[in-house]
Amino acid sequence: MKLTQLVLAASAAVFSLGLAAAPQVGAPAPDFTVVDSKGNSHNLKDFAGKHVVLEWTNHDCPFVKKHYSGNMQALQAEMTAQNVVWLSVISSAPGKQGHVSGAKADELTASRSALPTAVVFDESGVVGKAYDAKTTPHMYVIDKAGVLQYMGGIDSIPSAKVEDIAKATPYFANAAKAVLTGQTPDPAVTKPYGCSVKY
Amino acid sequence: MPNLMRLLFSLLLSACFSGPAQAVSSGWQSASHLKAELVSQYRQVTPGQRVQLALHFVPDKHWHTYWQNPGDSGLATSLSWQLPKGVTAGAIQWPTPSAIALPPLMNYGFEGQTILLSELSIAPDYSADSLPIQLQVDWLVCEEVCIPADAQFSLTLPVAAEPLPAEQYQGLFTQAQQQQPVPLNNDGRFDTTGGAFSAVLDWPQGAQVRQFFVAASELVDHAAAQQISLHNGQLLLQQPLNTYFTTAPAQLELVVITDNGAYSLQLQQAGQVGTEILITAGQNTDTALWLILLLAASGGLLLNLMPCVFPVLSLKALSIAANSQQRSRQQRDAIFYSLGVLLSFVALALLLLALRSAGAAVGWGFQLQSPYLVALLVYLLLALGLSLSGVVQFGLGLMNSGTRLTAGNGSKSAFFTGVLAVVVASPCTAPFMGTALGYAVSQNAAVALTVFVALGLGMALPFLLLAFVPGVAGLLPRPGAWMETLKQWLAYPLYLSAAWLLWVYGRQVGIDAQALVLVGAVCIAAACWLWGRKQLAQAGKVSVVLALLLLLLALLLPVWAPTQTATLAQPQSSQHWQRWSAEKLQQLRADGKPVLVNMTADWCITCLVNERVALNTDSSKAALALYDVTYLKGDWTLRDAAITEYLRLYQRDGVPLYVVYWPGQPPEVLPQILTPDTLATTLERLSRQP
Repeated sequence: MKLTQLVLAASAAVFSLGLAAAPQVGAPAPDFTVVDSKGNSHNLKDFAGKHVVLEWTNHDCPFVKKHYSGNMQALQAEMTAQNVVWLSVISSAPGKQGHVSGAKADELTASRSALPTAVVFDESGVVGKAYDAKTTPHMYVIDKAGVLQYMGGIDSIPSAKVEDIAKATPYFANAAKAVLTGQTPDPAVTKPYGCSVKY
Repeated sequence: MPNLMRLLFSLLLSACFSGPAQAVSSGWQSASHLKAELVSQYRQVTPGQRVQLALHFVPDKHWHTYWQNPGDSGLATSLSWQLPKGVTAGAIQWPTPSAIALPPLMNYGFEGQTILLSELSIAPDYSADSLPIQLQVDWLVCEEVCIPADAQFSLTLPVAAEPLPAEQYQGLFTQAQQQQPVPLNNDGRFDTTGGAFSAVLDWPQGAQVRQFFVAASELVDHAAAQQISLHNGQLLLQQPLNTYFTTAPAQLELVVITDNGAYSLQLQQAGQVGTEILITAGQNTDTALWLILLLAASGGLLLNLMPCVFPVLSLKALSIAANSQQRSRQQRDAIFYSLGVLLSFVALALLLLALRSAGAAVGWGFQLQSPYLVALLVYLLLALGLSLSGVVQFGLGLMNSGTRLTAGNGSKSAFFTGVLAVVVASPCTAPFMGTALGYAVSQNAAVALTVFVALGLGMALPFLLLAFVPGVAGLLPRPGAWMETLKQWLAYPLYLSAAWLLWVYGRQVGIDAQALVLVGAVCIAAACWLWGRKQLAQAGKVSVVLALLLLLLALLLPVWAPTQTATLAQPQSSQHWQRWSAEKLQQLRADGKPVLVNMTADWCITCLVNERVALNTDSSKAALALYDVTYLKGDWTLRDAAITEYLRLYQRDGVPLYVVYWPGQPPEVLPQILTPDTLATTLERLSRQP
């Protein structure tokens, strides 16, 4: 017997507006145009034919620091060596934690020996909200065809402890490797963990 | 570098920990923006005992730690116990969380002083004379920025034959208990289909629920609006799913915040049962009954202006008004008329309720879903029209435009006028008031009857006012010869109503049957004419017999009419819609296609207007094509159990009903009155929420 219940909404409009924009794995990734630390503009379409990794970041966040103890740099080196476009996205609003100038971003990249293709700014939070980026770090993999293949956490242990990296299942790295070999990541959606994105 | 800092921090903490070897408190440990201590409820414990331990957090103002589901970011506090053999620790007994908004994100946690209780169980055969407790705590404390920290807490309790409470901390433990949600054993289920977390639970508590917290992480979209509704002793909850939702646990904890405090309970996944909990727009069962009754009464009042009712009743009103010198008779007529109206509505309501309880899939508007009843209404409206045109006089006192009220059987005549008013109003109630009445019928029988009575009172109100409020009758124009002209003019709205019903009949059973009913209408006209001649003493008994035969023929013709329902709503290649079926809808939704469902009926004026101005327009067709929306149309002109069932799913009992299904979103019900851009804007908005 099919059991049916109703929830009656005083205002469905309020409800609908409350729905956050949600990206979907298997669907085209939301398009965006962003400016990088060197002043160059990038559009997602510019990278057609290449795999793209998006990494939400905030250099002062303890969870980001955890992975910039070497893990993130190693992933960046591994991916960019295989012609993957790696964009580190900063959605921190002006005045909020993690908001930096282009020069400061370059300095951070140099001092941390980071190897992203570019560090891009999203002060308004438009790109972050389109991707429903909630935390730093927060990882996305987009394939050559522009289809979102992975979204979620960098690994399986939500903590700020460096020693947990070795114990965790590297969800993002596994997913990125799967996409590079033309496979479908599993899991393709995981729990993102970290500091809140400072919109 | 962070490692070094952590090391220094730990050293510092160990240095701080230099209290007595046995104490009920670990002593305060200070970390960045938060100080903490571990406290025992007992200063001496005994084997076989259960002891509460409290981890007491005091963060700086505006800093918070996190609940078991921390929300969009953050991290739940975690405890790791090191206990001697024979002693075990239970899970954290989480206090009631609060929602900490960080737009566009939402966290669940605790601001201000927070006490996390855990229960230690000491085995009955525990033999040592002391109980050393080591606790490693990992927490994240945040204002807008976050600081992770961890600390070790130690305390040692003496073990003896008698347990001794730690008096100085009883206040703390009492406070901790007060901050706990009260556990309930209410039955409840949840479901994650249709893009939303939905839950149904028994709620005999009746307390007004303000907010709820789902303990499973990455399940609900924490920042999205929550739907909370109390319906027949059941609490219905809904919140859209999290973007990062993957699978739901078989059971989850739910905390609800009410006016009387917080409660926690366990929900089971609905699983195979397939509880689809739907969201509907613009209707709220919590609407006060008096408001619904008021609306029903206003609806009844409006019925007096409908084209099928107005001509009949306006003349009656004038005739009542004219009798101002016979006040008592006026009042008696008004009361009997009102009784006629009320009892007819009650009879209709009872009929509907009886049919439904017998399992018949009928809804309001059922009176127009039977072609034979439609044919009878055509005849009735035609006959009333002919009467107004002066072809015939009916003995109900209804058409008396002069000052003469039928003496003797005045009350009976007034009563049947009321009945007739309801009968002629019935085709009008279906299209214009289907939803309101449908709502009534979907409630329990007592509410349904009350709503119908209110409707009847609204309809009878003008007459009651005329008779009982002295000034009102005086406002009407004085009767005179002009009324005869008015009466003849008023015949035409009735003819038009008959023409409309004939069209409905034709759509229902085809043009051949329609032709037969047209012949029947001619018979009715002839019968009326013969009867009229008899009334004027221009004709004899033969005419009467002939008139009755013609009437009989007219009544039999629709019975013989060939039925040909296949012509109903057949899609043609040029049409932009397909015929609705439950299976087709289910298939399309399973395929992840956006779908528009339109439930309509030919006798539903609102439906036809909506289609003309809002759905069949070029802009709406373009919007449907743009978003690749499949448009399914269900036709309820004739009875259709599947459609009735579908309508009931959305707590409707009549048409129109418009539902948009967007993949990954709960179904969205459009308003009953569509504007030309309703569809395009709805689709545009939904498409922006992929």
